[in-house]
Amino acid sequence: MLANPALNKLRQQIGCIEETQRRFSRTIPVTEPVDRWLPYGGLSTGCIHEVKGTNLASAIAFSAILASRLAGDQGNILYIAPDRSLYPLGLLSYGINLDQFLHVSTRKSQDLVWTAMEALRCPQVSSVIALLSGLDLTESRRLQLAAEASGVTGFFLGHAASAPIASPITRWKVSSVAGKPGQRFDKPLWTLDLLYCRGGRPGKWTLEWHSQALLPIVPQLPAKQAAREALAG
Amino acid sequence: MARRFLSLYCRDVPSDRLTPLVEWCDRYSPLVSQDGCDGIILDITGCAHLFGGEGPLLADLRRRLRQMGMECRGAIADAWGIAWALARYGRKFIVHGETAAELDPLPVEALRLPEETALELRRLGLLTIAAVRKVPRRSLAARFGATLLVRLDQAFQQAAEPLTPWRPPAPYRASRVSGEPITTVPAVEYVLRDLLREICERLEKNYLGSRHMELACYRMDGTLDRCKVRTSKPTRSIRHLMRLFSGRLDALRAGFGFETFVLSVLDVEALHPAQLSLSLSDTVEEEASFDALVDRLGMRLGFHDVNRIRVCESYLPEHAVELHPAIAPTITSAEWPDYRVRPIRLIDPPMSIEVSILIPGGSPVQFFVGRQKHLVVRSEGPERLTPEWWRERGMRWGTRDYYRIEDDQGLRLWIFCDSSEHWFLHGHFA
Repeated sequence: MLANPALNKLRQQIGCIEETQRRFSRTIPVTEPVDRWLPYGGLSTGCIHEVKGTNLASAIAFSAILASRLAGDQGNILYIAPDRSLYPLGLLSYGINLDQFLHVSTRKSQDLVWTAMEALRCPQVSSVIALLSGLDLTESRRLQLAAEASGVTGFFLGHAASAPIASPITRWKVSSVAGKPGQRFDKPLWTLDLLYCRGGRPGKWTLEWHSQALLPIVPQLPAKQAAREALAG
Repeated sequence: MARRFLSLYCRDVPSDRLTPLVEWCDRYSPLVSQDGCDGIILDITGCAHLFGGEGPLLADLRRRLRQMGMECRGAIADAWGIAWALARYGRKFIVHGETAAELDPLPVEALRLPEETALELRRLGLLTIAAVRKVPRRSLAARFGATLLVRLDQAFQQAAEPLTPWRPPAPYRASRVSGEPITTVPAVEYVLRDLLREICERLEKNYLGSRHMELACYRMDGTLDRCKVRTSKPTRSIRHLMRLFSGRLDALRAGFGFETFVLSVLDVEALHPAQLSLSLSDTVEEEASFDALVDRLGMRLGFHDVNRIRVCESYLPEHAVELHPAIAPTITSAEWPDYRVRPIRLIDPPMSIEVSILIPGGSPVQFFVGRQKHLVVRSEGPERLTPEWWRERGMRWGTRDYYRIEDDQGLRLWIFCDSSEHWFLHGHFA
């Protein structure tokens, strides 16, 4: 390699600029087509993701899949919610080990935010799944900074209709799709909408949760359209 | 070492004020108990020197009570019975040994007898303890039963009399008395840090950690405040405990100022010293550890809201899992079979739904949740759950037939039919 000092200096400068980009470059895989689509080749860790669901259960399940991948054998997962409607046995089929799971419930919304904040600051937590509502810009920014500092990943859940939180790194919408006949209920079909992605483009996939993996489903084109495409091709 | 008892006779104190007074007496000795409806008994064995001797202790106690507007008599002796008698009938308030000489001239009531026994003795002309003692024991027993003899023996230290303190004495305890009343939080923190240093050092020597600590702050006016700190794992880290306490200290109301602080460890568990690691990167800072986080959450939200999950030996959905406080000792979970698919969210209590079209003996085809119509596209079931006879709540629906159904919108629900053919919505699948 040519030892050109000017070139090295330039490289350093570019490296500094890229450092900010690199903040979110530690990732976990979602599924192959989604990973290719996302700017960092996977879902960034150490930041806040918003997961909305037409049905809250789907949002919880999707976050649980990602959280269990983050946690591995050791990590702790915190679930923070204003009520106790979560049924932990339902999480088993999404790869969650209940021994690593801590359920925190509190009615007061300021306590919820405080809990999320404390959890995001603790590096021994691997991920936080929280049901928060009405976060203002300052709060969500502070949560984001806490997550970046400690490397904890936060999944903030909400109904599809509820107001989006400010400044997440990605915003997803999970909608349940009718399954094929004979499909098991612990292997559901979802449409995954990437509504927002910092540094990336929105996208949409249909996925099936099957044998601990999210398998993409290629949409079946209606026969007429398929024929037309075959003619054109 | 001879035991020393302090009996306090508070004649004018209303009985509802006596209990707080018992708690307040904690400052002199950990072994305090209410004595009848008008007295307090303290086991001050080994405590007196902290106050400069028994005389100054008694004087201090009486002075403080007088300041609170209570006139009390107290006496210190080798046995509960003697102290009790002297506090009420005696002339001398601190007695060492010479029991007989002190007790003999006292009236028979000083033996803590039931009223009728005392009256009977008086009617027989036995007015003093000396007179009773001259009567042969056999005739006393024949006439008055065992009570009188037991009381006599207790007073003359022939029979043991256990003292049951109002709460079990803390295994570790340290106290500080301040010269001036303390009114500010930083000052309290200073004292607390000092107390923690002493306690934690003692804990460390015995390889123990605290699970439950309490700081009692005594105000000038005789009232007191308690701050409790519980932890999910045994700890003796001053920094961690200070942080847990600091949330509570703000809530203290100093009033006229605090004068005495007692820090007691109510619950200890074994905690072995950890080997320090040579490389700095290996050690996780205590504050950043997961256990410290659980403690902080528990202190602010209450430990019943910070839960671990336990799978129980039951198939009934409301009993199959249990939220188990993270602070409690760890428990073993049961195994859950894979084929029993369960929803992600449970509706508690189950919501009644109206089924409009039904395949007889099978799952519904169309039903309403409120006014929302659901057309069933796909269903799985039934999964029959029979009530467990040892529970009452499970009986409400009798035998339940559960169906997992999917409607035309792709919504996946868990519904059941109870034994009286009513349908309920019980959960949401993902």
